[in-house]
Amino acid sequence: MRALSTESAKTDLPLEEGSGQTAAPRPFWIGGGLIAIGAIWMHGGLSLPQGARYAAVGPGLTPTLIGAVLVLLGVILIVQILRGERFEPQDSEDAAATSPMDKRAFFTALVAVFLPVGALPTLGLPLTAALAFTLVTRALGSTRLIANFVIGGVIGSVSWLLFTQLGLQLGRFFPPLGF
Amino acid sequence: MNFAKIIAPVLFGAALAVSGAAQAQVNVMLPAGPGGGWDSTGRQAFQAMNDAGIYTGGVNFTNTGGAGGTIGLAEFLGTSTGQPDALAVFGAITVGSIELNDSPINLADFRPVARLTAEYLVVAVAADSPYNTLEDLVTALADNPGANPLGGGSAGGVDHIAFALLAQEAGIDVPELNYIPQTSGAETVTAIVNGTLTAGISGTSEFNQFAEQGRIKILGVTSADRRPDLPDVPTFAEAGYDVELANWRGILAAPDAPEDNYRMWIDRFVELSESDAWANVLEQQGWDDFFLAGDDFGTFIAEEVEVQGQILRDAGLVD
Amino acid sequence: METFELLLHGFSVALQPHNLFWAFIGSVLGTAIGVLPGIGPALTIALLLPVTITLAPTSAFIMFAGVLYGAMYGGSTTSILINTPGEAGSMMTALEGNKMARAGRGAAALATAAIGSFVAGTIATLCLTFAAPTIAELAFYLKPADYFAMTALAFCSIAVVMGRSRTRGFVSLFLGLALGVVGIDAMTGQPRLTFGTLQLLRGVELTVVLVSLFAVGELLYVASRYNKIPGVMQPIKGQKWFTREDLSRSWKPWLRGTAIGFPMGALPGSGSEIPTMLSYTLERKLSKRDDFGKGAIEGVAGPEAANNAAAAGILVPMLTLGLPTSATAAVLLAAFQNYGLQPGPFLFTSNPSLIWGLIASLYVGNLMLLVLNLPLVGLWVKLLSIPRPQLYAGILVFAMVGVWGVSGAWSDLLIMASVGVLGYVMRVYDFPIAPALIGLILGPMAENYLRTALAAGQGNPMVLVGTPVSATLIVLCVLIFALPPLIQRLRANA
Repeated sequence: MRALSTESAKTDLPLEEGSGQTAAPRPFWIGGGLIAIGAIWMHGGLSLPQGARYAAVGPGLTPTLIGAVLVLLGVILIVQILRGERFEPQDSEDAAATSPMDKRAFFTALVAVFLPVGALPTLGLPLTAALAFTLVTRALGSTRLIANFVIGGVIGSVSWLLFTQLGLQLGRFFPPLGF
Repeated sequence: MNFAKIIAPVLFGAALAVSGAAQAQVNVMLPAGPGGGWDSTGRQAFQAMNDAGIYTGGVNFTNTGGAGGTIGLAEFLGTSTGQPDALAVFGAITVGSIELNDSPINLADFRPVARLTAEYLVVAVAADSPYNTLEDLVTALADNPGANPLGGGSAGGVDHIAFALLAQEAGIDVPELNYIPQTSGAETVTAIVNGTLTAGISGTSEFNQFAEQGRIKILGVTSADRRPDLPDVPTFAEAGYDVELANWRGILAAPDAPEDNYRMWIDRFVELSESDAWANVLEQQGWDDFFLAGDDFGTFIAEEVEVQGQILRDAGLVD
Repeated sequence: METFELLLHGFSVALQPHNLFWAFIGSVLGTAIGVLPGIGPALTIALLLPVTITLAPTSAFIMFAGVLYGAMYGGSTTSILINTPGEAGSMMTALEGNKMARAGRGAAALATAAIGSFVAGTIATLCLTFAAPTIAELAFYLKPADYFAMTALAFCSIAVVMGRSRTRGFVSLFLGLALGVVGIDAMTGQPRLTFGTLQLLRGVELTVVLVSLFAVGELLYVASRYNKIPGVMQPIKGQKWFTREDLSRSWKPWLRGTAIGFPMGALPGSGSEIPTMLSYTLERKLSKRDDFGKGAIEGVAGPEAANNAAAAGILVPMLTLGLPTSATAAVLLAAFQNYGLQPGPFLFTSNPSLIWGLIASLYVGNLMLLVLNLPLVGLWVKLLSIPRPQLYAGILVFAMVGVWGVSGAWSDLLIMASVGVLGYVMRVYDFPIAPALIGLILGPMAENYLRTALAAGQGNPMVLVGTPVSATLIVLCVLIFALPPLIQRLRANA
């Protein structure tokens, strides 16, 4: 990897004020996760032929190589973390990178994100949209639950009506009542 | 200024608004993305049924593409087993895909309604190719299969199977073929022209115009008789290879669909096959009529499963 | 000047009031559907195909021209304003465009996108009018090795979006590559990394990942560290409109983007992804400013022009040869066949008023979208003044409508949520997002071209540099990586 790190020198880590005091995150689990994913991909790749009669490159070679590099990257990452590599959250206009994680808000939003998996096929778009909308606005600090629920429901219903007319398949409008 | 031309858009908008309100009565699974062959087969068939007054009720299409239709059919199996008025489009490619992807679905579980259309395959080489007949090509293949790459649709699909059958007829070891799947008919044509492929195979409609443009030479067609739009192209059988193969498309009803409902749909499709509206669709789309209904179609599917499965095993694509 | 006369005739067709009306309807519908994440021009046209069945062919195609460009405008609008690129072609736009929007320069970003698209669309349509047959021949000239070299060159765009650490950039890239191999192997038909599930056979849909990494990841990240100080972001700060400076910074990228996009759009398989990536890389390499990555207008102008030029480019082989080189072109071809028309050289002679009407309507559609969009820029930007909680909630709703509407599969919604969590983790630990997407887009293409080229050459790796084009491009790739350190070393020694 060293040979490739030609350009990284010019964008050195800017020292952010105030961030030095808090304990720097040492996300070893990411390195471990990468090694695990890499292992799975290598296993999947190795179960397929690596070569091919004419193409030389078989169906298994690419996944195997990708898996191997992921394992390698996981190891490098762990070494870098041990050497004190810093992981600053990315800057974003609406997020304060230095503030601690608001677990409750995060998990509320997480529920909203996973909600459609089960809810869209069973509850239909308008109700799912209303629920997801309420959860996200709640996570971001809005307390007007009913108003948000209604807004979400309206956006969902209007989207359903509009895009169904235009030919998208968005399932049934309100499956619990059977239409 | 023509008044009708002004009013048409307005009516169009109104129709758009109303169309969604119509209650859907039949659910049709289109196991491919919008715009492709299966998608248009399903939609055009029901449009023609509507035009001919055979069935004018609502139709609810579901597009679930991927893996030669096996994903859509699996979903159809899950949601529609035992249901009346549940139909699915499928075709020759599905047969091979089920084998290749180890799909849990079994075509024999579904109730066969009707086989509708077929497209025959043609083998072509570049216009400046030294091979002028199918026999020239086969001789070259037998001599050095690796140096003569062949191309067409997805691995294990009808295109691949056609070449495999041809090779078998000529006594060439099928796994020796250097078959390179192409992502589209367009890509097959360009690969033939620029010399990447020695020969390619695709539906007649995809190759015809490039033969007319003088970019490729069509050596043979997989139909039983010569085709009216390709009078000078010999069939595989004429060239001495007993291969007849079509890329067919048809309609299935759900497994365990109620008997009377199933019969009713067979009758409707029989009526469709005799209607002018359907004849117009076939003409416009350049599809060949390949109608076969009910149990006969079931027998045909079973034969296809047998033939395609065997050739895929011979080709070493499945074990 | 026969072409010119035919074109004039085309304009007389396209400018008839009812045809103008259809162009308008097409533009509006195209924009409306195009703003949905994941739904690009191909699907939009496919969706509208059945409703046009009652129209005369000329009117229908004029409408499609509007849809085609409308869907592209719609896609760039969401990329810029809410960091949610709807399809691969507008991914590069999001990188700088959203940064601009967040710095209060959203109107300028939208304007350069709109005008750039117009300029590119117009030049590309001109090229289509006069040079189509020549350019179409490219498709027959280039071989798999050339395409492989092209993907290799596009991979160089990773270098410019790498972020702070090479390691983390490569982690991101290889996660994208890993997702790209899931599904059925195109060469052998065997399932790879599907873990025995049916849903994964069709692979991981690029648009789902795009939406997840950008929109869902951002939502989770913002929720976890929400900056509650009100009024942090104003829709418009400082310079309100498209300034003279913006123009002087934009026009060269527009032209360069067009030059890259149009010919590449005409090639099978390269679509709009590769040209937009190359355009972004080129602009970033050429830029002497240090605001790339922070909202450089060149990074919006170039890829947007490339994207639109590529859209016109795909029509070249489609109209002149009947050769559909992309999903959009394939859908348009299906539309032609619905009317019993077979595009190709014969259509130019057998149905000139249709072809030239379509070409003329491309000009008209382009102009119409510019006229529609420029005044609307102010309105679009107002989107940003929606309170944050409701804005992010709305983005999630649109993301799920897009993902659900494309596939109707709960499995894609699950992928959306899971990849969204990945996007969150990547933000928290500062892994760049773009390399993952580049890996997912280019990985499967590169693998396929590589294996095709090798198979045709019976495994001899020399075929990869066996044509003039592939050799040139590969040398270019090597230079891009080898030159900067070399120059640095020389300077250090001097």
